[in-house]
Amino acid sequence: MEDLSFEESLEKLEEIVNKLENGDIPLDEAIDEFDNAMHLVKTCNEKLNAAEESIAKIVEDNGDIIEFNSTNE
Amino acid sequence: MEEKTFTVSEINSDIRKKIQRDPNFKNILIKGEISNYSPSLRGHDYFTLKDEKSQIPAVLYKHQKDRFLKFKPENGMNVIIKGSIEVYHKGGKYQLKVATMTEDGVGNLHIAFEQLKKKLNKEGLFKKDHKKEIPTYPKTIGVITAPSGSVIKDIITTIKRRYPICRILLFPTLVQGDNASPQIIRQIRHTQNFDLDTLIIGRGGGSIEDLWPFNEEDVAREIYACKTPTISAVGHETDYTISDFVADLRAPTPTAAAELAVPELNELKNHIRQLTNNAKKSIFNKLSNNKLKFDAICKKSVLKNPENIYLHKEMNLDNLVNTLRFASKNIIKDNKTKLIQLENSYILKNPQYITKQKKEEYENKINKINHYSNEILRENKNKLFKLENSFILKNPNEIIKRKEKEYSKNYAKLEVLNPLLTLKRGYSIAKSKDKVISSAKDVKSGDELDIEFEDGTINTKVI
Repeated sequence: MEDLSFEESLEKLEEIVNKLENGDIPLDEAIDEFDNAMHLVKTCNEKLNAAEESIAKIVEDNGDIIEFNSTNE
Repeated sequence: MEEKTFTVSEINSDIRKKIQRDPNFKNILIKGEISNYSPSLRGHDYFTLKDEKSQIPAVLYKHQKDRFLKFKPENGMNVIIKGSIEVYHKGGKYQLKVATMTEDGVGNLHIAFEQLKKKLNKEGLFKKDHKKEIPTYPKTIGVITAPSGSVIKDIITTIKRRYPICRILLFPTLVQGDNASPQIIRQIRHTQNFDLDTLIIGRGGGSIEDLWPFNEEDVAREIYACKTPTISAVGHETDYTISDFVADLRAPTPTAAAELAVPELNELKNHIRQLTNNAKKSIFNKLSNNKLKFDAICKKSVLKNPENIYLHKEMNLDNLVNTLRFASKNIIKDNKTKLIQLENSYILKNPQYITKQKKEEYENKINKINHYSNEILRENKNKLFKLENSFILKNPNEIIKRKEKEYSKNYAKLEVLNPLLTLKRGYSIAKSKDKVISSAKDVKSGDELDIEFEDGTINTKVI
């Protein structure tokens, strides 16, 4: 479960919540699934709150990648 | 001879008729430069079309304008107009009534655009089933556009606002002029070396000539071949380029392209919050429902007074014990009765009765045996007596006489068949080596034969 992409994690989370809302699963299973859901929420939020602010970079012709500042023209 | 005098109305009317009838003034192409462009309040546009030496007034009626015009006419613009010459009777003026109007010099580009669009469409480059899905949560987005100008700024601003966790990689290129398309193609190929989720290809608005690199066939084919999902954002909302058709998704503007490329982070967080709440609500409901059920079960009398369970059982047990006791008493009583009956039976009390019975049976059998053996003895005595008195035993000579008579009868019969008697009547028997010859085929010439007569045998030879 650790290796899921954000998209897969979110999909899985939606699936589990859907399952919980339908309510037809046994209590033990529901509690397990709830644990899974909370774990997925945590990983999703971690990814969304990643400290790395989006930085625009420019790929030079020689393949170098340098920071791009759109105000310097 | 009196010359005809025309009124002004008459002569203008004649001129109008003549010009209207003349095919040289109908649906003709005229090129020139727009000047004195003046839109009227009612929506019709009046202007003058001129060249270096001359000019002609022109009118563009609203309904025509709405129907075909793809650009905004401006003073100084060189245009090609298709239209007819009409006479304004009241003022004695003639003017050009515009049917269609295109920018001079770009007319060819429009044709080229339509032709290429048709060709690539026929080849299937615009087909929906080739279009790749744009990833919903991209990590890195590539942008091919000019490094200066509003396009890259708009894209960066939009992505930072909506989804700041996404990386942006700019692949700078010229976006207009003859050198633009080879650079765009090179950069599309270059992007394939990077792990991009989505690629935006864009430039700002401009004339059809400005946008032309994005209408080049080579660029279109490169976009089609690109493995990364592409969003095309070229020009303004109303501008369509070949790149737009061949890309996986078309955005009306660069800002829109960025919006299509990334989700809204806050919305996404809200969505996850909502999911979390729903999960909590569901599990809380589940738990409280189960708690209610559990409580209800706890309140049941059985659990409250568990002794009831064994009290009830004890009662059952008592019943069973009683039944068992009653039943065993009955069995014992039955068996006692049987025993008494047996003890009082006649046989047990009079055992000599049995021997008396057996003795009688035995005497009966002896009597029967004596009776049968006497019977057999008497029958055999009778048979012996009959045999002793039979005719044969008393007259044995009678039997011999009877046999002699039978013998002489049989002897006479045999005498008739004697071969010697036959020989006596003159017949003879031919023999060869002691075998009787009965056919002429049995002998051949030179064989010796014995002929037997009644009184002797002679030896002879076949000639």
